[in-house]
Amino acid sequence: MFTLEALLLATVFCGFFGIIWKKNLMMKIISMDVMSTGVIAFYVLVAAHTGLFTPIAIPGSRADVAYADPVPQAVILTAIVIGFSIQALMLVGVMKLSRDNPTLECREIERNNS
Amino acid sequence: MMMLTLAWITLPLFVGFSIYLLPKLARVLAVAVSLVSLAYGLWHVVYSDPVVLSLVDSFGVSLLVDQLSGFFVLTNAVVTAAVVLYCWQSDKSAFFYTQAIILHGSVNSVFICADLISVYVALEVIGIAAFLLIAYPRTNRAVWVGLRYLFVSNTAMLFYLLGTVLVYQANHSFAFTALVGAPVEAIALIFLGLLSKGGIFVSGLWLPPTHGEAESPVSALLSGVVVKAGVFPLLRFSLMMPEFDPVVRFFGVTTALFGVSFAVFAVDTKRILAWSTVSQLGLILAAPMVGGFYALTHGLAKASLFLTVGKLPSRDIEILKSNQIATKLWIALAMASLSISGLPLFSGFGAKVLTGDNLLPWQTVWLNIATLGTTILFAKFIFLPHTHGKQSVEMVDNSSAELSGFWLSIGLLIGGLVLANVFYLEAYTFKNIAKPLITLALGWLIYWLLFQNLSIKLPRVAEQFDNLIGAMSLVLIFLFWMVMA
Repeated sequence: MFTLEALLLATVFCGFFGIIWKKNLMMKIISMDVMSTGVIAFYVLVAAHTGLFTPIAIPGSRADVAYADPVPQAVILTAIVIGFSIQALMLVGVMKLSRDNPTLECREIERNNS
Repeated sequence: MMMLTLAWITLPLFVGFSIYLLPKLARVLAVAVSLVSLAYGLWHVVYSDPVVLSLVDSFGVSLLVDQLSGFFVLTNAVVTAAVVLYCWQSDKSAFFYTQAIILHGSVNSVFICADLISVYVALEVIGIAAFLLIAYPRTNRAVWVGLRYLFVSNTAMLFYLLGTVLVYQANHSFAFTALVGAPVEAIALIFLGLLSKGGIFVSGLWLPPTHGEAESPVSALLSGVVVKAGVFPLLRFSLMMPEFDPVVRFFGVTTALFGVSFAVFAVDTKRILAWSTVSQLGLILAAPMVGGFYALTHGLAKASLFLTVGKLPSRDIEILKSNQIATKLWIALAMASLSISGLPLFSGFGAKVLTGDNLLPWQTVWLNIATLGTTILFAKFIFLPHTHGKQSVEMVDNSSAELSGFWLSIGLLIGGLVLANVFYLEAYTFKNIAKPLITLALGWLIYWLLFQNLSIKLPRVAEQFDNLIGAMSLVLIFLFWMVMA
């Protein structure tokens, strides 16, 4: 469990440093996606602390099964949808910018627009 | 009360989307929504009975509406109404009003939420709506500024989300109060998210370029209310859980000084205002008990300043100094500036007194310096040359039709600033009145002696995109160390 946790945090920070160090705007957006994947997976991991069984109650099912915690899963579903819509919105912005800055170098765009 | 609150909070979302179907009614509907919020906010300010709701179940949404929320909702309502009036005769499409009202609704929901996840959702919706408003002109520059904003806010919110799950892991709850027993890293991550979103201290370096580059009505919305959505949960934490009080107060003081020291050296009018927003947010955080009233007076004054500055012929303060601006505009500028500087008769004075009474001893000196700095930087606006006659530089948009909307919105904001005095009439004692007058005199003296001809160009390296994100990691380490201590 501990190794998994460490790996997920590493994913988050990989994404975070990608946002800082990658020069291309497109790569920065992908890095942000990596970061959010890490966070989402962390929620799933926390949900699995109590067990791995899908938390759906069926009449007649046994009560002593180790169910996964449904709350973090329900919550992260919202965050996934929000994350993906923001991603889409950003890509539209990038499409617009790419017309005048075909290389999408972040420094270049910043210099042209300030 | 429960049904009323639920109806009020969902109203902007319904209306926001129906505006898109009924473009003819866009402006009327937008004003109507803000008036409903105005009534709701006012009701909670006057009858300060807190309303506590928890929807669905123990893991559901929990809401808390009290006087503090009331003040913030009131600010949001007045500023939104003023911005819609300002845009009344412009050719803004229904899309603009849709976004403005959705923004209004999501900011309102931050002000009444009492659990971490609802705050997260509301803050993200704010990010999206604000991006669409900033990018509304569709120019490359606007898109880039908006994209930067969205990037910073989304990265901050990812950290926040990570902190939230750690809180849940420790206490099996998403309520604000679950923060008490939470691990250090969870608290640091959540604070980082909120500080970045609210434009506090180093993580707030994104704010001046964003607020400076957006169109005037959008800047007014952003500076007047949207940043306060990041600050509000911090106030709640500090009021609910005394152990976070020192952290919040500390960030308040540092931000107040940080913002004001950049503002006095800025030469671009909109950037001066944006830096001043950073510093005023600090003052809101410095005394969490009374932050609501301060937020109200700051929101109204700052929105009217941004709207007025948008009508000036130039953004460079040096050019404005060597030309003459119309007296009518100058009066609007001066009234709002005097209110932020804390002149009696305006409610900015009452807010300053109230904040001053609720400070801890160690904060007083630093915040007096910040207040003095504020008077110096607003002296830049108050002492602009102006004239009645025809030789004044023509206003940017001189069609009288468009101006009537402008004056209506400025009238609303300044009128609000004067009327808000009723919330704290006790401020008017001799001792209280003397202090801001002395501060003003001192500030103006320093302005005339030192700052009038001073021009130092501060480097803007820190505002580059990579450095904005990098600053977050610094703040995270700092927070970690601070919460540990």
